[in-house]
Amino acid sequence: MSNFVSKEKLQKWAPLLVLIALIFVFSFANSNFLSIRNFARIGIASTPALMIAVGVTYIIIMGSIDLSMEGAVAVSAVLFATLFIAFGGSLASWAWLAVPVTLILGSLFGLINGLVHVKLKIPSFMASLSMGFVGIGLSLLVTGGDRIRVEDPLFRSLLTERYFGFPLMVHCALVALVIGWFIQCYTRIGRNFYAVGGGEDLAHASGLNVQKVRVLGFMIAGVFYALGALFAVAQIGIAETATGYNLMFVSITSVVVGGTALWGGNGGVWNSLIGVLIVNVINNGMIVVGLPRYLQDGVLGLLVIVAVVLSTDRKSLAFVK
Amino acid sequence: MSFIKDFIEKETISRRNFMFATAAGLGGVAAMSTLGGRALAAGKEPTVAWSYRNRSNPYWNEIVSGGEAFIESIGRSKDDLVHLINEGSSEKSLADVKAILAKTKGNLALAIDTNDAPNARPVVEAVKESGAYISTIWNKTDDLHPWDFGDNYVSHMSWSDIGPAEQTARILFEKMGGKGAIVGLGGIASNVPAIERKQGLLNAMKDFPDIKLLDYQAADWDTQKANQIMSSFLTRFGDDIKGVHCANDTIGYGVLEALRAEGLAGEIPIVTYDGNPQAVELVMKGDIEATVFTNPHWGGGISAALAYYAAIGAFKPSEEPHEHREFYGPTILITRKDAEEFKAKYLDSVPKYDWKDFWGPANGQIKYG
Repeated sequence: MSNFVSKEKLQKWAPLLVLIALIFVFSFANSNFLSIRNFARIGIASTPALMIAVGVTYIIIMGSIDLSMEGAVAVSAVLFATLFIAFGGSLASWAWLAVPVTLILGSLFGLINGLVHVKLKIPSFMASLSMGFVGIGLSLLVTGGDRIRVEDPLFRSLLTERYFGFPLMVHCALVALVIGWFIQCYTRIGRNFYAVGGGEDLAHASGLNVQKVRVLGFMIAGVFYALGALFAVAQIGIAETATGYNLMFVSITSVVVGGTALWGGNGGVWNSLIGVLIVNVINNGMIVVGLPRYLQDGVLGLLVIVAVVLSTDRKSLAFVK
Repeated sequence: MSFIKDFIEKETISRRNFMFATAAGLGGVAAMSTLGGRALAAGKEPTVAWSYRNRSNPYWNEIVSGGEAFIESIGRSKDDLVHLINEGSSEKSLADVKAILAKTKGNLALAIDTNDAPNARPVVEAVKESGAYISTIWNKTDDLHPWDFGDNYVSHMSWSDIGPAEQTARILFEKMGGKGAIVGLGGIASNVPAIERKQGLLNAMKDFPDIKLLDYQAADWDTQKANQIMSSFLTRFGDDIKGVHCANDTIGYGVLEALRAEGLAGEIPIVTYDGNPQAVELVMKGDIEATVFTNPHWGGGISAALAYYAAIGAFKPSEEPHEHREFYGPTILITRKDAEEFKAKYLDSVPKYDWKDFWGPANGQIKYG
């Protein structure tokens, strides 16, 4: 068999095979699972997480980690909602400005995150975790603990308007994903992420300004977090401090399950798409087949381990930290 | 003496008596201060503190806003309320209390949710030891009672959610014509209110044999999670779902949006719990059939008020009957019929409460069983 399918190839496609296997198993258990309507539901649930996962993919490719997404999403969501309502409360008015402003704010948040990490020489783990708390605190300051409802039907059409059976937000997310893929493959900064992640010393010795790459990476991630926040608000119609809740776990799990290794240098945004879909198919499927709640967390954890085992090459690693 | 109790009773009888009582009350306070009530002898107003999970949760935000309203009622600034944030950690909760007891040398009026039941005893004992005053809400073990601690453990307030959750379930079933299948979404499975609200649903089902519960899943009080669970329910049960019972409003929002995504908002009746302002508006719109208001603003204010007035010696807790030491907080059912009236009364402007009317809105002595 090894003549036809090399081990690397199998590993490369393992996440997709896991996804197909999961869909097969759940469809077998309940035929309702295999329907456009259900795939649309999985799509809606996946959209915010996909944006966050794409953002953090770059950081993980660089061999760093970003844990600020919950704070970044919270602050982006509440600032977006506040501005949106202040500017008129409908996409048809000047409120559309809130969208670009939010994306810029997201990149600023990422900029600060990156500068704290690089200039103060704090490990990305700690720097981003702290910035996440800052974001939560900031969003709390804006809302005072309340929720902000965004009810503009035009904005909510991201959820309610459907093309080919899928809501508008799913299509928008796919466009963003393609942009993410373009950044990763066809821009200098995208290739530099791999250079830094594959061997930082080597990249530095070759004359690459590693610090700049890192800061830029966090900025781009920040824009995707802000996008994720917009979709999260479109999905629920509410912006609050808890908007980003649980997205840290889902997004990082998705990236790793999709086959992007935490030690950096490989993987990419398509892997993250597969990863997000795996996690959300599991979440959806477990309820569709009627698994009791006390089993769900355990099953999710086990499936994540299986997916990582199948999809990453750990032979070459001397040690795992 | 319990003049406060008389005060309240007489207030409702006649204005003349009311004025006498007031005079007596003022006299009482004055007498106590000259006799050297502990707090006043120190020559300083007691510090008022609220210890709770965090403010990003709308429920706790309401609780603390009540604490702030109370402290403004005694002529102090809102910022004078000390916030002890435990972030869901019982250890931090206890450490915070010990720290502020040391700082204030026991000249403290504390309102607190101790985060979990076993933590209440060490907190209360620490407060008693330093001679401060404490009112607790929600969490305490069944064997811990304010009357076992003299005056220092002023009161405990809790809410029983079984009855109101049963009522919302009945409203849901009646809306469905007494038959059909429902799904339920609960809170964090181990939380007392989550357990009680589910029990309320199950109790109501006993009287409606034609109602079938398809599945009940824990949505952890979370909107996003509820949203995803509801979408999955729609896949699993499709058109069989004729109604949804939610353990609180935040879960209800997630369910409603999952239905909206499918063009089903308003088609499938939903009942929720907590009576958040937005939920009340959704009841008025007809998106939600019913919710239950527990008046956290009043609960937060009155707990601080009880501890404070005990601390300054305005009443003696040990002379109060048991139903004034351990009592249920108010619950108000909100349906489409009365939502508008409710909104006008409680939400359009936060009602000004009489923070000396300690037990007026309360709901009877806590029962164990």
